[in-house]
Amino acid sequence: MRRTLCLIACLIAAPAAAQVRAVEVRTPRPFGYFLGDLVQATVEIDVDPGFVLQAASLPSPGPVAYWLDLRAVERETAGTRQRLRLTYQTFYAAIDARSLEVPGFPLVLASDDRHGSTTATVQVPAWSLGLSPLREVQPPRRADPADYLRPDGSGPRLRSEPMRTVSLALAALALAALGLLARDRAWWPFRARPSRAFAGPARRLAVLARGPQTDETYRAGLTALHRGLDAAAGQRLLADDLAAFLARHTAYRGQQDGLDSFFAASRLAFFGGATGDARAQLPLAEVAATARRLAAAERAA
Amino acid sequence: MSRDPARALGAAWARARSPLLLALPVVLGAGAVAAGLGVWRIERANARIAAIESGHDLPVSADAPKPLLLARILQLARRGAIEEAEGLIDALADEGEPGLVARARYGLANARLRRAFAHIERGELDPAGPLINLARQDYRRALQLRPGFWDAKFNLDVASRLIRDFPEFDREIGDELKAEPKKIWTDIPGQPRGAP
Repeated sequence: MRRTLCLIACLIAAPAAAQVRAVEVRTPRPFGYFLGDLVQATVEIDVDPGFVLQAASLPSPGPVAYWLDLRAVERETAGTRQRLRLTYQTFYAAIDARSLEVPGFPLVLASDDRHGSTTATVQVPAWSLGLSPLREVQPPRRADPADYLRPDGSGPRLRSEPMRTVSLALAALALAALGLLARDRAWWPFRARPSRAFAGPARRLAVLARGPQTDETYRAGLTALHRGLDAAAGQRLLADDLAAFLARHTAYRGQQDGLDSFFAASRLAFFGGATGDARAQLPLAEVAATARRLAAAERAA
Repeated sequence: MSRDPARALGAAWARARSPLLLALPVVLGAGAVAAGLGVWRIERANARIAAIESGHDLPVSADAPKPLLLARILQLARRGAIEEAEGLIDALADEGEPGLVARARYGLANARLRRAFAHIERGELDPAGPLINLARQDYRRALQLRPGFWDAKFNLDVASRLIRDFPEFDREIGDELKAEPKKIWTDIPGQPRGAP
């Protein structure tokens, strides 16, 4: 056989010959294929300008012969050259090296212009393929015929690494986000954050409001909120300073009513000596709610 | 005037920041737990594959992870339970993992061929023929899915030497309907043919 397969079909049909100049089938090598191997073949057709391959005339993938499948057909156009890339798969179980003929097939080329459409048929020539045996003709004798077979082998395992990486990365991000949250809410270890003056008092008041209610706890709760207000204002804040404080810290303006009643209750408890009346007027739960709202306003500031 | 939208946006961000910061660790943590659960499931499937490969008879459902399904199919094929393995191959082939399906088909074809060898050794040639042909079809499918599957090539060669292809017979194979169109029409009853 020739080293490279190169078959040029002499086209006898007169009208087609005018439009089709040459047909060529090329393969990387025309010999040395085992069963199951993929065989690449390129069909090149030189045509007159304007002619293109009709898609409907292309061979469709599927069995070509009992020993040969056509797996893929790709079409390319390069100038006047029409190219078909064919992928075959051979299943011929050869005993000795031999050549088999890959059948040819017709193709239709068409050219559309103002006067209508012209078609030309071109026959892609058959070409031969050299197939080689995989085993010796007479393998050594085995007691058990199953020993002639290759073993079943085993399948792969599932890979857990990608999922593990994702899990660890998400866990690390969650931890970082938790850190940001702790910083925002002045949780441990960010307790002493100066810009979160109300976070601590709000926590303390929430604890006190849940516990048993006595005059002692009530006064402790009020004191906690006073310390928070002092820290936020940067100085000792009394009822008379409230208007000036709210003018400077606009974020807390929405809490004016709550602060007014807080200062009224505080005056009653600490200077009026009537903690019981103050508790009736403004229960500790409401003080805690005011502190919580102040903390939220502080975070949003 | 142009500062107002920017300020509104800033205020909206300030309001949304705190709730967002609360949601973020929750969402990320949930994702981490879900992924961790996935890792645990994968490890468990791998442990089951190892158990099956060491010979334990563990039933596997059709929706199991693909490699686990493959391990079970290969085990059934090794034991000669061809029919049971065939049922699982359909589940494996549903989702495209050609390498796994090729291995399963190969295992099944080997099982068929071993059964055929057993028949031949007892001198029963009639049941061996169809088994060999089915095995060859399975090898062929395995090679279609994975052309570089050398063990399948080798065993297909072994099977093909037991029964050769005959090109003349092969052309007869196929269930194309070879009826003339005219004949089909005459079979339809009640054609009025223009009569009143």
